Formats: sequence, structure tokens, C-alpha cells
Amino acid sequence: MVKHIRKMSFFFLLLVAGCDIRVLDPASETGRRIEDLIGLSFWMMMLVLVIVFILFIHFIKKYRVKDDSYVPPEEKENKWLEISWTVLPIILLIILAIPTVIATYNLTYKSEAEEDSLKKEGLHVEVTAGQFSFTFTYPNGKESTNQLLLPVDREVTFTLTSKDVIHSFWVPELSGKIDAIPGKQTHLKFTPNQVGGYQGKCAEFCGSHHAMMRFTTRVVEQDTFTEWMDK
Amino acid sequence: MNLPVIGKVPSDVVVAWMVMLILGALTIIFLSKKKKWSLLWEYMRTTHHRKIGTMYIMAAILFFFRGGMDALLIRTQLAVPQNDFWVYQGDKYNELFTFHGTVMIFFVAMPLLIGLMNVAIPLQIGANDLAFPYLNAVSFWLFFAGAMIFNMSFFFNAAPNAGWTAYAPLSTDAYTAQVNNNYYIFGLQVSGMGTILTAINMIVTIFRLRAPGMKMTRMPLFPWSTLVTSVLILVAFPVLTIALTLLMFDRYYGTHFFMSEMGDPVYWQHLFWIFGHPEVYILIIPAFGIFSDIISHFSRQKVYGYKSMVGAIVLIAMLGFMVWAHHMFTVGLGAFANTFFAITTMMIAVPTGIKVFNWLFTMRHGAIRMTTPMLFSLGFIPTFVMGGVTGVMLAVAAADYQYHDTYFVVAHFHYTMVGGTVLGAFAGIYYWFPKMTGKKLDDSLGKWHFWLFATGFHLTFLPQHFAGLNGMPRRVYTYLPEDGVAIYNGVSTAGAFLMGISMLFLLYNLYKTAKSKEKAAADAWLGDGRTLEWTVASPAPEHPFEQVPYVKSVDPFWFHKRRIQNMPMGANPRPSPVSVKTIQPLLFVLTISMMSIAFIYHWIWVEIIFGLLVLMFFLLRTLTDERESVYRKEGEA
Repeated sequence: MVKHIRKMSFFFLLLVAGCDIRVLDPASETGRRIEDLIGLSFWMMMLVLVIVFILFIHFIKKYRVKDDSYVPPEEKENKWLEISWTVLPIILLIILAIPTVIATYNLTYKSEAEEDSLKKEGLHVEVTAGQFSFTFTYPNGKESTNQLLLPVDREVTFTLTSKDVIHSFWVPELSGKIDAIPGKQTHLKFTPNQVGGYQGKCAEFCGSHHAMMRFTTRVVEQDTFTEWMDK
Repeated sequence: MNLPVIGKVPSDVVVAWMVMLILGALTIIFLSKKKKWSLLWEYMRTTHHRKIGTMYIMAAILFFFRGGMDALLIRTQLAVPQNDFWVYQGDKYNELFTFHGTVMIFFVAMPLLIGLMNVAIPLQIGANDLAFPYLNAVSFWLFFAGAMIFNMSFFFNAAPNAGWTAYAPLSTDAYTAQVNNNYYIFGLQVSGMGTILTAINMIVTIFRLRAPGMKMTRMPLFPWSTLVTSVLILVAFPVLTIALTLLMFDRYYGTHFFMSEMGDPVYWQHLFWIFGHPEVYILIIPAFGIFSDIISHFSRQKVYGYKSMVGAIVLIAMLGFMVWAHHMFTVGLGAFANTFFAITTMMIAVPTGIKVFNWLFTMRHGAIRMTTPMLFSLGFIPTFVMGGVTGVMLAVAAADYQYHDTYFVVAHFHYTMVGGTVLGAFAGIYYWFPKMTGKKLDDSLGKWHFWLFATGFHLTFLPQHFAGLNGMPRRVYTYLPEDGVAIYNGVSTAGAFLMGISMLFLLYNLYKTAKSKEKAAADAWLGDGRTLEWTVASPAPEHPFEQVPYVKSVDPFWFHKRRIQNMPMGANPRPSPVSVKTIQPLLFVLTISMMSIAFIYHWIWVEIIFGLLVLMFFLLRTLTDERESVYRKEGEA
């Protein structure tokens, strides 16, 4: 068993080492906040995992018997042990729940009114998803299919809808996903902070060529963006 | 492939037909040569819980290979970037994962657990059979027919293709107009009916037929988990029935529950997950019960914290109804709904944690013996805890905006469903095999099975976490080299084949054990049995408890053997359920299946004729009661 676990942890390191994992290498403030949450929850959960694994290995090693006749004495429950493994997880979860609530409120749209005010300040893009492409409409009426161009360091808001089935808009480096639902509008906002090209994907299964429903996101300097918009 | 008369048929369907015809012919030859037709005829008419349980498990293992084959085809298509394996791109691939998911959940995990309940529950509580043996046969055949209807779809090149969750509007006639998803609706409706009837049967059996002295607080934990699971089924499955009925109306009769101004596609998701989340607890809670009994048995200790174990199951079950929208964090329900469901979801970790520590502390100061069932139970603990901690990570709503619908989620639920339910079912099969057949499965082959399966499992699903975090959505049939997920998928595919190979060890074990002449003792596992099933012969006879023991505590048999407490035997004070030999359940289910197939293909007159026949069976059953004559005879004597 010990060997098994050692083998697994080695394997784990092998997989993570030297890989740039998109969700963990974000290029926006939103992405970074989510990455922080992922990190926090991951390390807290690793703590739980390590405690369980240590007890597990220790008990199996210590109480494994080959002797057929050995009958252990009856074990009585210990009230304090039971209380501690009820209360400690609750405390751990409260520590995790507080940043979860804060981040969820910060990263989720609260009202239509907020959307209106944001539309005035930042850049607003309307996203129409359809089998199997995304169409982006900019404020000046410019349309672009499967190509999303965004200026760096400027807040951008999205209003999404679908013309057929449910899709989901996802750029792992920039933000979490939000579904595009027919007959409804959903909203998303983030501020890209790094110039570069990022993959975008449909994340909700939407039919025959769901796998091919991709788009590219390019974050560029403001000048390049203005130039592109006017073209 | 272009065939005369039929038209264009994909080559995988042609191959499947050929294989089935050959296998069918071989089976007929085998049955005739070995003169097994009478045995088959007997099982077709049986209402006995052990035989029905065995049929459940055999059918589930059969479908396990069916769903496993889908898994291997999926993994082969995803082995390398931009792969073009056989026909499995686009819709054919979508059919693959829809089939894999639906078969594994409804036709493998459910019947494996229900089969074990059938075998073990009456024996564990000192009952001679389930409360309603006739109904039990109806339940089994309904499950089997539902699974067969679902499996037919592939052979007629009409496999469902909207995912096992069948999200509207993709699953409505506007986007998938062919018959494919009709098969999904009727396959699940028919088998779901069987599941609901089983739940009623289990609840009545546990409430009414326990041995004298066996209070609820003296029941082993598997009956406890079965009771809680049955209540969950009774509440959750009707919601699925309703959702499927609404979907049927949308597809058949032009309603718009899930589309247009009046309807809403999100309604489907609510309905589906109000069923779907309790469903995953329906699948895991019985496994918890199995592990509790096995770990206690092979540690020679009574289970640690019995009361908190029961309390935890009940708490998990109740919380299970309050978390469904954590499957819908990205739908845009708003920050309040998302945080509410995030917190209820996190709360489930507390009772689950209590259970894990109780299992660990059952082993402390015990005498641990590494038999195959124990090995599967021990393998479960670290695996399931890994699935549990990713569950808490997924509950963090804002972070789920990243995880949602990626391979991270795929990895998570395989860790819980395979690491929990499947390992639990395997442990249970090895553990109660003597009660089913009177023989023990080979221990060293069992260990081979475990180690290969566990290693293959982690190889398959651990890398998928990273694939998900690196941006791989689920349900895609291909990916590009620049996506950076090739290494994870490559390892994953290798692991999947290792799991496939491990299953051959189980098959060989079953074959070898069937050949062997060695008989298992009543108290088959090291003479350490703690509960009532180990007091009766292996295999369990038709009426195991003519003389029923009086139960004075938990684990009565163990304390009796240790001379701490005696276990007096007396006549069974309760009338036993009356078993009959009847072909009625099978015929009844055949007519329901014909009606369903008529619905699938819109043959109106066939629908009406078989609908009337189904009603006739209800009438027939209303007017017959096999118990009358038996009870009259008992009254006279």
C-alpha cells in the first residue's frame, strides 16, 4: 500500500511539473481570484487527505494480523474523538465557505441595473451562440465569428444568448464559463490584463460537432483594437 | 456500409449484429448440450429473492461489459490528438458517451446494488423472503426489459445521443428528431418503474419482517442503508418519471415545456437534477452499508460509532435533496442561489467525513484480515476520499465556473462512482457469493482483479483532473496537439485498458469457481460472521428462517459465538411471504415492452393493443392472490 501511494505521488509530480495549466496560469483579475480559491481549497483538502492517508496506512500496518485465533477486545467509542472529527471539518468548511461566498458574489452578476451601468463605462460585447460557432457583436455594429478581439486592461462585459440549444462560453485563462441559453440572456464580465492569444471553447454539450465549437480570443493594445474596430 | 433493403448502416452496427448472432447461436447450443433449458425456465418463473438477486447481478455484469466496451472505444478515440478511430467521431461518438453513462448508471450500478440487496437483506434481518415476492419478480423483469429496450437502440442504429443527462432543448424533437432519444425515454421509464417497486418492497420488508428482538437500532448497516436508499428512490424516481413524461409530450404531442416563451430549457435541468443528485446518493449509500459490514467483519470489531453511522446516512440523504443546483452553477441562477447551493453541498462533507473516520477507527485495535472483499473495501477508502475532496473543491461555486463541464468533473464523479459504488459492488459480490451459489470465489484471482483494477483506475482518472484544468471540456470527440492534453489522455487510455484486463480476471474467476466442487461453509469467511446471514446454509435455502433466532444486540451471531450472549432459536412468529412459480411477471413485462417499442416508433394501433393487454394483466393480478390458499391452509392447521 505504501509503495502504491509513493508511486502515485511521484506520478502526480511528473504530471504537474513543467506544465502550464491554463486555469492555473490566468491572464485576468477574475482568473486570478478563481485560481486563488482553487489553491486555497486544494491545500485545505490536501490536509484532510494527508490526515486520512496517514491514519489509514498506520492502522493497516499496525492492526493487520496473520494469527487466526487472535480476538481483539471489544473497542468502546471515544466521545472526544467523535466530537473532534465532527467539529474540525465544520471549522475547516467555514474557513472555505467565507471566501467562497465573497468570490461568488463578486464574480456573478447581481442585477440588470448593474449591467446597464457597466455597459456605459466599459466595452460591451453581445455573444450569440449557435450550432457550432460563436458570433460576437461590438457596440459599433461590427460582427465577428469565432474571433474575439479585446483591448488589454479594459473591463469588458458580455451579454450572451443562443439561437438553438444551450452552449457555454469559456476562455480558461480569462474567466470561468457562463451558459448561453435560448430565449434568455446571461452575463459575464472580466478585465484581461495580458496581451496574447487564448483558446475559447464551448463547454456545454450541444450536438454533433460540439468538439469543433471553438473560438480564438486575442487580447491586444488599445490602439490595435481601435484600428480593428474601425476597419 | 451499404446494405441491400436496409440502406446505409455504420460498420460498427454490422459487426455488433454479427457478433450477437454468433454468440446467440453458441448460447443456444450450450444450453441444449448441457440440458440447461429447464434451469432457465425455472429462473424465468422464480419469485425467490436469492435467485432474483443473482439474476440482477448477472445482468448487471453483462451490461458492465457493454458499458465498459463503450468506455474503451471512447478512450481509443481520445488516445491521441485528432484521432480518427473507426466511425467514432461526431454523432457516433455522442452516442458512445450517452450509452456509456446511461448504461453504467441505470443498468449496472443500480442493479448491482439492488441485486446485492435482494440476496442479503432478507438474510441479514432474518426474513424468509422479501415482503412481496411476486412484485419482486415484476421489478426485476421491468429493469431487464428497460435495459433491453435501451440496448436495442444501438442494433437499430438509433442509439440515444443527447448525453445521459439529455439536456433540453437538444433532446427535444426540434434538434434531435429521429427516434434515438425516444429509446432513452422508454428505456428509463420501464426500468425506473421497476426500481420504484423494488424500493416499496425493501421498505415494507425492513419494517415488517425483521427477526424478533431486532429493533431498528440492532439492524446491520447494510439494511439501514437500504432503507434510507429506498426512501430516496421513492422520492427521487417519480421526479425522473415526470421529467421524462414532459419530454415525451414535447417530442410527441407538440407541447413546449422546455422551449418557446412559455417553457424554459432550464426547467429540464431542475427536474433532472432534483432526481439526479439524490440518484448519486442512491448509488453510494448502499455501498457505504456494504463497506461498514465488511470492514467490521474482517477487523473482528463491531463497527465504530454505530449510531453516528446511521445518523450520517440519514443526514446525507436529507442534504442530498438540497444540493441539486450545484450541477447548474453556470446557468446564471444568480449569486444568491449559487452560494446557497455551494454551502449545502459543503455541508455533506461533514457526515461523509464522520463515516470515513468511523471506518478507520473500526480497524483500530482490530484484527485486520486481507481477504478479497476487505481489499476492495480498503481500496475504497483512499479512492473515495480523493473523490470527496474534489467534491468539496467543486462546491466552491466561483471556482466551479472553471471546473464545470470539464474533465475535472469527469474525474471527480468517476472517483466517487467507481471508487465508491463499483468497488462496493465488487466487495459485496465476493463477500456474499457463498450465500448466492454455495461456493467461494478464488481469493488470489480476486486479489489480482483488485490490484489491476485499482491501478488501472487511478491511471485512468487521476490525469483527467489536469486535462480539465488545462481546458479540456467533457463530451468532446477530439482535441488538438496545441491543447496540451495529449499526455493526460494517453495515460488515461492506457489505464482504461488495464481496468478492462482486470475484468477478465473476474470472468475467469467466475468460470473457475463454477467448475470447482469445493463447498463453502455457512459461516463462510474465517468463521467470523457477525450477522444473521452467516447462520444459514450456503447457498441460502428457500426458507432459511423456519427457526428464527431471537436478536439481543447488534452483531448477534458474533456475540453468540464468543459466548458473551446466547441467541435462542424459536418458531418464526410472522407469516412468511408466499413464493410462487409463475410466468406472469415476465409476460406482463413483455407486453409493456411491446407497448414501449410501439411508442418509440409511433405505431398507434400497436400502442393501443398492447396498452389494453397491460391493463388486462392489472385486472388478472387484482383478481388473484396466491396467499389466500396458503394462509387458509395455515389457519386450518
